[in-house]
Amino acid sequence: MMYNSEFSSQPQPSAAQLVRSTLAALVVATVLLICVVLPSEYAVDPTGAGRFLGLTEMGEIKQQLAAEAAADAADTAVPAPAAVPVATAAVSTAPLPAVTVTAKPVVQPEPQPAAKPVEIAAAKTAQAAAEPAKPAARSRTVSFVLKPGQGAEIKLEMKQNALVNYSWSANGGKLNYDTHGDPYDAPKSFYHGYGKGRFVPGDSGELKAAFDGKHGWFWRNRTKQNVTLSLEVSGDFINLKRVI
Amino acid sequence: MFSDLSAGRPLPAGRYTLLIILACMLLLSSIDAAFAHGVATGDKGYIQESSGVLIIPFIYLGAKHMVTGYDHLLFLFGVIFFLYRLKDVGLYVTLFAMGHSVTLLLGVLTNISVSAYVVDAIIGFSVVYKALDNLGAFPRWFGFQPNTKAATLLFGLMHGFGLATKIQDFDISPDGLLINLIAFNVGVEIGQILALSAILILMGFWRRNRNFMRHAYTANVAMMSLGFLLMGYQISGLILTP
Repeated sequence: MMYNSEFSSQPQPSAAQLVRSTLAALVVATVLLICVVLPSEYAVDPTGAGRFLGLTEMGEIKQQLAAEAAADAADTAVPAPAAVPVATAAVSTAPLPAVTVTAKPVVQPEPQPAAKPVEIAAAKTAQAAAEPAKPAARSRTVSFVLKPGQGAEIKLEMKQNALVNYSWSANGGKLNYDTHGDPYDAPKSFYHGYGKGRFVPGDSGELKAAFDGKHGWFWRNRTKQNVTLSLEVSGDFINLKRVI
Repeated sequence: MFSDLSAGRPLPAGRYTLLIILACMLLLSSIDAAFAHGVATGDKGYIQESSGVLIIPFIYLGAKHMVTGYDHLLFLFGVIFFLYRLKDVGLYVTLFAMGHSVTLLLGVLTNISVSAYVVDAIIGFSVVYKALDNLGAFPRWFGFQPNTKAATLLFGLMHGFGLATKIQDFDISPDGLLINLIAFNVGVEIGQILALSAILILMGFWRRNRNFMRHAYTANVAMMSLGFLLMGYQISGLILTP
């Protein structure tokens, strides 16, 4: 009646054989659960096998991300380090011209000096002339240390189409980053990204606000060493805040 | 669906189908996309924050993907439904594995991405096809039996595109990509062996039941309805999401 049903003469496994197979399957599943699944998913590693295989680290990252997502959802901002150490904060009142630096990840592994690309005088004049009257541009420099596994987020409050130039450096270390923006009262799971990268020594460019709201960077230190982050921002923003 | 083994008294066919459909819908509804400050969580979050060669973590992710991938498992279940010799099981599973390995690697390395909805709808269709094949529908309807080995290979190729599309969505670092992909593929095979072992043991118990042949018809019809459900789910996604 059904296709390839010429099998009925085939010997079937015996009941005892099937019971033995079931027990073996149960043992395999238990071993895998303890040595592989628990470390990978929950960073629970009673035998140490997960650490040895490099799976516990995956579980730790997942747990950390899940905890942060839950905190985000509950709208209780992840407790930021007690005193956010903002090293220097220079405010210049002179209107700063918009520098056109194309945003691209810096690939050289050498330590990045805090110096940012110097604007060309000619471009400066042209840009300044082209720009309509705008609020006094501001400039800020921020620097702090990120421990292994630690994340940080800096947000600029900006009006739509406002421009800033930025340059950040991991000062010889490497960081993962995600540059993104949230409109005021952003709906849940809203995401507007400006770019991201992983294990990069720094990034610089121009950030143009896609809408009224908060725009900025989330960094994470996934290396095993402390990383000092320095960020320089100049341009048309209302304020700068470290939110995490 | 194996609950009546000891009693030997089959449940009405409709109830099996309903139970399986409910279970499947539960699975489909558990898909979530959590974000924290724009960073993905879970497996995707882990992959997006890692770089370099990570062989064992990627083997794990491949195996997990297979074991939790109900669409692949459903197809595999259909493929081995009437295979009794271990030799045949091995042959068909190898054909399927060869198919999906090729398109998995090819898709990711050449960055070919087919719409996930289209691929997943085809995977749903593969389940419907296999159920009809098991029920002997093709000779009856069209007067000939399509080559089952060729069909298994072909659907293997389709399933591989599905895997490739999902991996591209994970956004793996280009650093260590090839080795990580091969590790992922090895994991897919390990997951397949694990899932298959479990299915074969359950089928072994089931086949010993004297009502197996009656169940078999119902089970394949239920499987076909799940295949249609998967197709409908993916085609709706294709139409409804921008």
